[in-house]
Amino acid sequence: MTTLAENIEYRGKVIEFPLDNPEETDIADDMLHENLARPTTERTKRLKARCRVKHASAGEFIDKDVRAGIERMRFITEAHKASEGQPEVIRRALGLENILNKSTLILQQDEFIIGYHAEDPEMFPLYPELAYMAVQDYLESDYSPQPKDEAAEICEYWKPYSMQAKGERYFSQEDLSRMYQVSSMEAPGFATGYNSVVPPYETILEDGLLKRIEIAKGKLSDASKDLEKIPWNAKQLELLEKIDVWNSMIIADEAVINWARRHARLAKIVAENFETDPARKTELLEIADISHRVPAEPCKGLKDAFQAKWYTYLLCHAIDRYASGMAHKEDELLEPYYNISVFDKTFQPMTHTDVVEMVEMERLKVSEHGAGKSRAYREIFPGSNDLFIMTLGGTKPGYVDACSDMTDAILEAARNIRTTEPSLVFRYSPVSREKTLHLVYECIRDGLGYPSIMHDRLGTEQMKYYSQFSKNNNGATDEEAHYWANVLCMSPGVCGRRKTQKTRSEGGGSIFPAKMMELVLSDGFDWSYANMQLGPHTGTIDNLKTFEDVWEAFRAQYAYATSCVIRAKDVMRYFESNFLQMPFISSLDDGAMELGQDAVGLCEQPNGWHNPITTVVAANSLVAMKKLVFEEKKYSLQQLCDALKVNWEGYEEMQRDFKNAPKWGNDDPYADPIIKEFYEDIIGGTMSKITNWSGGPVLPVGQAVGLYMEIGSRTGPTPDGRYGGDAADDGGISPYWGTDKKGPTAVLKSVAKVQKNQKSNLLNQRLPVAMMRSVHGFELWKSYMATWEKLDIMHVQFNCVSNEELKAAQKEPEMHQDLIVRVSGFSARFVDIPTYGQNTIIARNELKFGSDDLEYMDTKL
Amino acid sequence: MSTIAPTKDSKQALMHEEQDTSKPCTTCKWQIGDPTDPTRGQCTANRTQMGGVWKRWIADVKNTTCDMHEVGVLSFRDHV
Repeated sequence: MTTLAENIEYRGKVIEFPLDNPEETDIADDMLHENLARPTTERTKRLKARCRVKHASAGEFIDKDVRAGIERMRFITEAHKASEGQPEVIRRALGLENILNKSTLILQQDEFIIGYHAEDPEMFPLYPELAYMAVQDYLESDYSPQPKDEAAEICEYWKPYSMQAKGERYFSQEDLSRMYQVSSMEAPGFATGYNSVVPPYETILEDGLLKRIEIAKGKLSDASKDLEKIPWNAKQLELLEKIDVWNSMIIADEAVINWARRHARLAKIVAENFETDPARKTELLEIADISHRVPAEPCKGLKDAFQAKWYTYLLCHAIDRYASGMAHKEDELLEPYYNISVFDKTFQPMTHTDVVEMVEMERLKVSEHGAGKSRAYREIFPGSNDLFIMTLGGTKPGYVDACSDMTDAILEAARNIRTTEPSLVFRYSPVSREKTLHLVYECIRDGLGYPSIMHDRLGTEQMKYYSQFSKNNNGATDEEAHYWANVLCMSPGVCGRRKTQKTRSEGGGSIFPAKMMELVLSDGFDWSYANMQLGPHTGTIDNLKTFEDVWEAFRAQYAYATSCVIRAKDVMRYFESNFLQMPFISSLDDGAMELGQDAVGLCEQPNGWHNPITTVVAANSLVAMKKLVFEEKKYSLQQLCDALKVNWEGYEEMQRDFKNAPKWGNDDPYADPIIKEFYEDIIGGTMSKITNWSGGPVLPVGQAVGLYMEIGSRTGPTPDGRYGGDAADDGGISPYWGTDKKGPTAVLKSVAKVQKNQKSNLLNQRLPVAMMRSVHGFELWKSYMATWEKLDIMHVQFNCVSNEELKAAQKEPEMHQDLIVRVSGFSARFVDIPTYGQNTIIARNELKFGSDDLEYMDTKL
Repeated sequence: MSTIAPTKDSKQALMHEEQDTSKPCTTCKWQIGDPTDPTRGQCTANRTQMGGVWKRWIADVKNTTCDMHEVGVLSFRDHV
């Protein structure tokens, strides 16, 4: 039997909460999520049943059949050896060409969107040209590519050419060792291979590659004429690099067309020689036609668009180079083709239900997408393959609602098929249409953990802010500023034919304030994990006489770490621009095409950011120290440090005092001003002093993903009352789990106080299942969102799942395969998360909406 | 539910370097890989009151050992 929410007395009435769907009455609380999936067709039901997810946890793959492939490594190495002496950008294009010409193609039963990035649907590719340590880790694991000897030889070949070898040269052994720990700073991109990108999907769908080749050839023709001008002017030497870039674009695009057409031929062969089902045979011939035309030609209908987008995704995120994410504004991108196929029915006629099925199929393709990430990244997104995040909703220029029937189709599909990925972001605006908002609410209510919600106006204004720093004075226009998507979980970035973020070196990567807090109290020495000097010397306990001394010592630790990691990103950017060019993406970027510059180095729209993770542990620690050590003088700093060194053992009363000190998230008049200042002055203020490659500032994007557990495990006890090894806070600005005691609107009021010097901060909240599934659920959620929006809070994401269900899943994981939770920034299959991680989610407070909260939100019940 | 027995008296396992040890961290069930460098590692023998792990960094996984060494591999469920 389903438990109903308790009645509330509100505005003179007793409000009851009967179920919105009475058919759920007989569903037990601990089995709800297993009863929510409703794939739109039998086909998507079958595809889901056989979906080969590649979830990782604690560095390991859950499915032991998953392993690395060798083809990409082999073919890129072949091409690199054969192209010695050629310009580097040409070598990159030839590498892609060799991979695409020779790689095994995958065509699976039942699927309509085709294409895979490795030689077997259980495999994923590796990237020896990036981080040699990441490949070495695979060679020593159960997931090694085979034959292992060949893979080892390839890894050894690439070591001197790799981004890691290049980047390491410019850092001291001390700095490298500190970054590689992943305890106060994340390891550099050159040592992990981790990346993100926002491909210009619009260009390939609108133009097709044949047109891009034609434009590049035109550029080459003009350049040749300029070179031959009489009299000669040495300024024309600038054209030499551009000529190489345009030539590389042509090589890459021709290879992509050929690769897509290889798929077309394969589909035709299977249709004509092997397929016995007439319906499937017709479908395979349609697939063949689509892959012959796209992405060579512009898309003419919605099926074209889905296939062209999928090929582009595989190339930009896996085949040419690894990149996490799936950044694009999917609804606006596909809306013109939706209109052609569904409204006008002039090409590839479809119904809305057909489109929902197509989105479900795309979601299942993503769910099978494996990523050859380094060990660190196999730890920090437990219960999922990787991060795949698409953005919907928002507004167009003039703040006109951008939601459409395509938006609705994407949301319906997500609700119906229930997969952990891709995740969705919804850009919330007061003008967002009600019909679409209801679908957003249904997804959240059904416990998917997405869409996470971003503030549309704040994101748009942010794009305008960054635009002013453009090095070539061609940042996003006010119109272009409306067209943005989250680059990964949290950070807005423009989409479109130009100016998009092409590498994580521009924005991304993490630093860890909780560990820095530990270092402040030990003169920069990491006694609890690595037993080494991890940060600068910022003073012994004897030097920290006032709270201001502690504050400035923290700033010094933070300033060192932020400059170190962003220097690492810019060093990586330097080498990416010279040795890791991306000719295919460059061919799609109108700026790269116009200027003859590779897209990775080009930076028309700055978007600098970095992720502080575990900030609230540090913030709460500062509050506790100020109160108990420096104001009340109940304990000395030395006494506190003595207690921390023994993990509070024998100091239980002191631990309780520090644990019970005012905490973030309670609209507390003592804690909140200190923590607001901490975020704005240090976390944002110190970071924003940095100028990055693109000429703009770097701003913080408070996050957590699964790192709140990893960093917690490498951080000793902290003055907020936390024990050594305990997980840290699970969001960028979320209260520490279990410490938000004053209700949901108190959390919002606290978070709303932090405004200056921030790009974005992740707010993780947990909604009550019974209220959300009641007849009043939508009104309650809508009023919460309206309040959130008026308070100018950038982000919020929700769990909506009962502890009964979570605990039942811990006991019988095989019975709860459809149970999805929001970890932080991504959703995961709960039963694929380690037990301790599961317990941290169970421990998160569920929001309890009382009449005061409803009154504050002006909820209309 | 975790199947691991808690550490005795919450004392730390005492890691030490021992060249060519017959009980290196690489074969121990409590050891997992370093996030970045495969020649290093992390010891997970120390378990917190809440069931979490307070890890210790291992500089050299092939030549380090301690008295808690136990051959094997833990399930992902028992890690963090």
